[in-house]
Amino acid sequence: MLTQVLVAAAALLFVVALVYAAIDRLIDNFLLGLATLVELGVVAQLVRGLFGLGRIDTGSDTATFAAYLLTLPFVLAITVWSAIKDKTRWAMVAVAVGAFAVVVMTLRLQQIWDLHA
Amino acid sequence: MPETAGPVHDAPHGEHSSRGPGRILVAVYGILALAATGRSTLQILEYFDRAPLAYLLSALAAVIYIVATIGMARGDRTSTRVALLACTVELVGVLVVGALSYAVPSAFPDKTVWSHFGSGYGYVPLVLPVLGIWWLRRVRAASSGVR
Repeated sequence: MLTQVLVAAAALLFVVALVYAAIDRLIDNFLLGLATLVELGVVAQLVRGLFGLGRIDTGSDTATFAAYLLTLPFVLAITVWSAIKDKTRWAMVAVAVGAFAVVVMTLRLQQIWDLHA
Repeated sequence: MPETAGPVHDAPHGEHSSRGPGRILVAVYGILALAATGRSTLQILEYFDRAPLAYLLSALAAVIYIVATIGMARGDRTSTRVALLACTVELVGVLVVGALSYAVPSAFPDKTVWSHFGSGYGYVPLVLPVLGIWWLRRVRAASSGVR
């Protein structure tokens, strides 16, 4: 359930950030709020994943799983911070890239979980 | 934070590697650097003996991504040159390791960022250095024109 909600929210953030970039709109409270929601989901996923780490079969995917879990919270934090600092449309595209990375990496986490847990 | 919506102008690109479209490249490089560093560190710490070559190559790729990210983000003349070198090494790496992973699969029992031309990462590791080299050369040419 968390994965689906997180992927949907990150996908929405991806689209909104792209639209903002297309219409030359800078980061505002709506986008910041949406990014915060996604970030909260990412942190919840990190906590859940760390507790479930022991249930994953030992194998190379454990490293990927743990690395993605630990990396994900930084992705949006850095791209959104960058968009606040650098007020250009390209920074909004960077937020979209970050949101897309959250979608892909979350789906990969779920895939590893389904295969090995 | 206050509402800041409204028309904006692009940063003056062509002078700094992290401005304009370079901002996107820095973001993608940064994400890859984070993911590759975390993954290769854990692989080396947890089960290095399983595929030492693959894990060392992953660590090398991670270091190159870090260097490229910092070089692009800093954007001064020396940093741009270092980032350009990092992107070139990265392109050679992904082409050589990509080809070897098909030619000698036994040498790569586990995947690296560069094996199979970065297919595990949606071929981003193959496309990214090409974009990086193109962008950095453009920045350098523009800077030379300005000076």
